[in-house]
Amino acid sequence: MSIITIATSKGGAGKTTIARLILGRLSLSGLRTAAVDADFNHTLTDWVRTASKHAITVENELDETQIVSVVSRLHDAHDVVVVDTAGAAAQATIFAIGCADLVLVPIQTSSADIVEAIKTVNLIKSASLMMKRDVTARVIMTAYQPGTNISAHIEKEVAKAELPVMEIKLHRLVAFQEMSFTGLVPTSGLAGLQCMNLLDEIQALGALPEPVKLAS
Amino acid sequence: MAKKDLASVTTDLSALASMMPTQRPVVAAPRAVEQPVELRALKAVPKPTQEEEGVIQFSLSMRKELRKQLARLASDADMTMRAFVLNALKEKGLSVREDDLVDLRRERR
Repeated sequence: MSIITIATSKGGAGKTTIARLILGRLSLSGLRTAAVDADFNHTLTDWVRTASKHAITVENELDETQIVSVVSRLHDAHDVVVVDTAGAAAQATIFAIGCADLVLVPIQTSSADIVEAIKTVNLIKSASLMMKRDVTARVIMTAYQPGTNISAHIEKEVAKAELPVMEIKLHRLVAFQEMSFTGLVPTSGLAGLQCMNLLDEIQALGALPEPVKLAS
Repeated sequence: MAKKDLASVTTDLSALASMMPTQRPVVAAPRAVEQPVELRALKAVPKPTQEEEGVIQFSLSMRKELRKQLARLASDADMTMRAFVLNALKEKGLSVREDDLVDLRRERR
């Protein structure tokens, strides 16, 4: 019964990777998972339909006049709905934010990622004000390279911009890239651990149906 | 976690959303209905052509990334970037006619 939207107006920040991780891992835990793919590139839809070995329902919906009803319908029949949005500001993204219990805003290590993340977080704040309810937003670092100057710099910039940030950082790992071909979400090694920690943190934010026993 | 009521989301956020570009697939304009023979003889009042109104060049500066996104969105909508921008402005109330959206590149070829 929870809706997680993944949004940033920057393309290639890791939205679909996060969507795959959440959906795949939760489906392994026995939850009924569904995805709404609002991205022109329909990468998530293609992955679910052609590669994924997980039980995930997916619908590709670009039309902003339809997105709320599609999310609502899937929400009725699934435990978790993940909405993957386009890498550009669009009307559908606003409505997807409006549906969400949690909005994850991925950023990689570039200044454009931070600029777009700030815009997206501001958009979420505006949506919260207009709906008169808080939508929880968290920035999540992806393709993170520990020990590098660029990653340290990005962390500083995120702090300076006072963006609400997830503790978990998804590292630049081959296992996350392999997922697009194997159709399997990593369950072991560092990638598996980071995936688990991501879901633990999402659960702590109250954005997963409780109690969820996450598969180890 | 209780089931959420999403009924008000569209209403609450429509003003905010209206400031953003649409992702709705562009629907092709309906084909013109063929005129009855008796009406074909009547001469239609000619619309002012773009030449008569004076077509001007208008350049636009934007970040490289935005330009890339525009090219991609226009390509996805099977439109030229010019037509894509004009179409978006039409939704904001600009008086854009069908002939304004014609791909001028094809005419020049």
